[in-house]
Amino acid sequence: MSQITRRDLLKLGAASAGIAATGLGANMALGGTVRLAESGKDFSAETGKERQAIPSACWQCVTRDGIIGFVEDGRLVKIEGNPELPRTNGKLCARGQAGTNILYNPDRLLHPLKRVGKRGEGRWQQISWDDALGLLVDGGEIAGRKVKGLRALRDEGHPENFMFHYGRMKGSDGKIIKSHFLTAYGTKTIGNHTGICECTKWTAQELTWGSHYDNWDFDNTRFILNFGSNVLECHTNHVPMAQRCIAAMGRGVEMYTFDVRLSNTAAKSTEWVPIKPGTDLAVVLAMCHVLMANDLYDQPFIETYTNVSVEELKSHLATYTPEWAETISGVPAEKIRSIALAYGRAKPSVCISYRGAVMHYNGVQTERAILMLEAIAGNIDCPGGRCRAVGASWKFTFPTPKTKGKKLHILDGHKGAYAYPTHHASHQVFDMIRQGPERPDIYMIYCYNPVYVNGDVQGNIDLMKDEEKMPFIVACDVALSETAELADLVLPDATYLERWTCDDMVCPSQIKEFYIRQPMVKPLGSTRNFCDVVIDIAKRLGFDLGFESAEEFVRNGCENTPGVKEAGGFEYMKKHGAWYDRSAKPAYFSHAKAVDITGATLDEATGVYYNQQPGDTDYSSLDGKHAAKQYVAQKCGDGEAHRGFPPDSHRWKTGMLEIRSKALADKGFDAIPAWMAIPEHEAMGSDDLILTTYKVNVQTHSRSQNCKWLTEIYHENPAWIHPQVAQPLGVEDGDMITVTSSVGQITTKARVTEAITPGVVAISYHCGHWAWGGYASSKSCGENYGHACEPDCHNKWWGKGAHDKGPKVWRDGRGVHVNWIVPNAGDPIGGGQRWMDTVVKVAKA
Amino acid sequence: MNERQTSKEPRSGGDREGLLNRREALKAGAVGAVGAIGVLSGYTAARAAVDDKSAGQVRYAMVIDLRKCIGCHACSVACKSENNVPLGVWRTWVKQVERGGFPSTQRHFLPRLCNHCQEPACVEACPTRSAYQRDDGVVLVREERCIGCKLCMAACPYDARFFHPEKKIVNKCTFCVHRVDKGVVPSCVNTCQGNARIFGDLNDPDSDVAKLVARESVQVLKPELGTEPRVFYIGADTGTMGRVRKEI
Repeated sequence: MSQITRRDLLKLGAASAGIAATGLGANMALGGTVRLAESGKDFSAETGKERQAIPSACWQCVTRDGIIGFVEDGRLVKIEGNPELPRTNGKLCARGQAGTNILYNPDRLLHPLKRVGKRGEGRWQQISWDDALGLLVDGGEIAGRKVKGLRALRDEGHPENFMFHYGRMKGSDGKIIKSHFLTAYGTKTIGNHTGICECTKWTAQELTWGSHYDNWDFDNTRFILNFGSNVLECHTNHVPMAQRCIAAMGRGVEMYTFDVRLSNTAAKSTEWVPIKPGTDLAVVLAMCHVLMANDLYDQPFIETYTNVSVEELKSHLATYTPEWAETISGVPAEKIRSIALAYGRAKPSVCISYRGAVMHYNGVQTERAILMLEAIAGNIDCPGGRCRAVGASWKFTFPTPKTKGKKLHILDGHKGAYAYPTHHASHQVFDMIRQGPERPDIYMIYCYNPVYVNGDVQGNIDLMKDEEKMPFIVACDVALSETAELADLVLPDATYLERWTCDDMVCPSQIKEFYIRQPMVKPLGSTRNFCDVVIDIAKRLGFDLGFESAEEFVRNGCENTPGVKEAGGFEYMKKHGAWYDRSAKPAYFSHAKAVDITGATLDEATGVYYNQQPGDTDYSSLDGKHAAKQYVAQKCGDGEAHRGFPPDSHRWKTGMLEIRSKALADKGFDAIPAWMAIPEHEAMGSDDLILTTYKVNVQTHSRSQNCKWLTEIYHENPAWIHPQVAQPLGVEDGDMITVTSSVGQITTKARVTEAITPGVVAISYHCGHWAWGGYASSKSCGENYGHACEPDCHNKWWGKGAHDKGPKVWRDGRGVHVNWIVPNAGDPIGGGQRWMDTVVKVAKA
Repeated sequence: MNERQTSKEPRSGGDREGLLNRREALKAGAVGAVGAIGVLSGYTAARAAVDDKSAGQVRYAMVIDLRKCIGCHACSVACKSENNVPLGVWRTWVKQVERGGFPSTQRHFLPRLCNHCQEPACVEACPTRSAYQRDDGVVLVREERCIGCKLCMAACPYDARFFHPEKKIVNKCTFCVHRVDKGVVPSCVNTCQGNARIFGDLNDPDSDVAKLVARESVQVLKPELGTEPRVFYIGADTGTMGRVRKEI
């Protein structure tokens, strides 16, 4: 009937058109006179009133864009990008714009909670901050069981038995909590989450060019070669990189993406090149071979700044032909060859990489091979190439405590398991605690959900429930996560929209950008910025941090950081949110900088100029920390002293770009990147598949699913399988399947698609929460200690009435989490969690 | 984008657009080979703009350059936030379509919103004159006059209107006139990461939209219906343009 109605209406056509043209409130401006601003202002759609604009910084992911919050009648209603920042040019992704959802989440934690039932039973008592901090500092009774507090551990001389494990803590938040509070307290049992993030990439870079974090200069590049980065959907510097990447493609720059799955990045690429998981290394080695064989190498760069010669490279790469790589990776040799030639000829070109390529058994060598490729092509630290990161460095005048702390040896995995776990092996912490003998008396998690984000979820839950091995668990977060649900004491944190931070993320324009986070509204309920809470905890323990609030700390940074200070300090930053030196030149070629070596000692064996201290015999005798501190310059291949590629404090290296790594050779690994097969993949049966996990453009890890606007768009994570896999199993699109690994089984929904490499199962890890609020878990909103500040939760439509068979089984509107079936296992060099290596079996459920 | 099969069925549902497309396609001849898509040469589009009844005045329009769209939904969420759009309904969304066999599989995006048609069928359908068009071409709802009869929703060939679950009246994209009238681009344009969404005055030959419409082969949805959309696409995949339901 609706068809007829519309057709008839269309027939009426022009006859009635005139009626419509008499609109009210019409804009009578003449054509050619309208000039619209891109951003900076916002108005109420209802009243037309201008909204108050407050510049600040995002924290929906580690990118931490500059933002402007728009406040209407005391409520934050809108977030946009801050156009004053060159990083983002005023853009903001879906996640950043959904930040208001975190603030006003109906399941937000508003008050401290103390457990009264069994762990995980969900029975809580709302308590005051005074009681909560009393319990943390002086211990007490939790559900009939006595626990020790922070004071007792310190008094006993064992502050290290307080483990602080964080997920997100950057900029001045990290300075306050870690450098000041935890240091003064005396514990160095401080865990992070980089082991499950991208630490293989960082370890590889530290071994090779000394520092970690690579910036891809899309603004100036002529060709993009991509191994496993979903840069258009998610990246640690997402909004700055995505906009530059697509802008480069708009200029005609070609991008070739090697990925096991058609990500949106692959879809927008000139070509998606499907590849067998964990074989990027073979393709990169073959591309290095092609460059050398076709004289497409940058001889001056190789011989001046790297520690290998052209002849050595040719010899090392001789057998890595594209034909060889085809047998390993499944990528046709001709494709490898033609893309390598295009990359080599397009100079400057950039080879980008991320988790798809590196979170494997061979991830460190894969990333090192990519740096070798970039070095061969001469695309290092140059406009249009792969550059070392440039970020802001804030200056604070509060003296950092000099307490010599102690630590439990549970951060880096079992002894000898990993050669260089420079960013720790966070996925092993629970197993270390399980095995003992070293265990923390107090385990505190901050903005971190280890139960959900690590592999072997069941094992994590079982340990958290063990009151002998985990006597006192404290959680500080904005909502009850799967981990906080199992805690004894829960502290409600202020969201990033209610707090102060000096922030510092890398700018793709290779200039330093200083920006701050400031509150847009007062913290809701009795939530408190944990940076302020630690000041109180310190006072209760009898020491003073030297500042009274996070705001004072940020003010100090603004008043003492060169440049920011002269621009107007704290007042300027509160008004603008960000400052950068308008006359700053992008930092390229810092390795080539000539260095004054007056007073420095040359170590003949390594060519390093260093500041010799009494007792030093030569540079090679220094440990990583001292090597970094005493390094001055490198005598490079041209005989001159250059800044080179200095080591960071993690590990010893020379100032050359070390394609040949002594550190790796010392531990029995290939010194120059060579093919490294993945043991489990070598032993696969014919019906085995390789599981890969991934991220999407509207979710951030485990954290953003409590944002209604994001989870409305993405709330289910079916398992992608190719029709070639599905057909023999009798599985059709939408059928239920089981996916089984060595550590467990999930029942999920199949998405049979041509957008994935045969032999692979891809499941995103964003879905399947059983806590974290109603939007995420598909339970009803506001049922846990939440508040009804958001009437829109009644309009939630996904997952309504769906049958819940437990967290390991698919539920409509929620999906199922994949980490139930991923074992915790690190790569042998960096200890990075091998997210993309799990071998599984799929069957029709 | 919610994995294709899981998106919520549109409230106005059914296959009516598909039927309409096929029927209209028979009439429309060559264009009808792809049913719902039309490519306008720069000349045709520019002439259409000059022929507008608002010629000489501002005529707001949007160009969406799909070469630059990364399907990121920044626009979808910006709009929800800017206009306080409830869960379950959208003023703008990004349709996503996958086509082709491995390894040449493709994925295409098509951001959708009200077309602010030059000949808006919704305005004609409205019995209370709640639906109206301003002189600058923006099609709006006078909330106080809307009785929620949904005739406009039935009339809109683009499924751009929805029933607001709280206000109990019809709601839709306004081109963010509350911003535009005060000199700021619509919220979806402000945040578009690829700068794919370009907004401006079609009657101003110096505006980016007018230049793009004149220079590029622009496309509109269902041109055969004579609604004359003022949302133009560049580089849209024909497979995405057939059915314009609220698939995300």
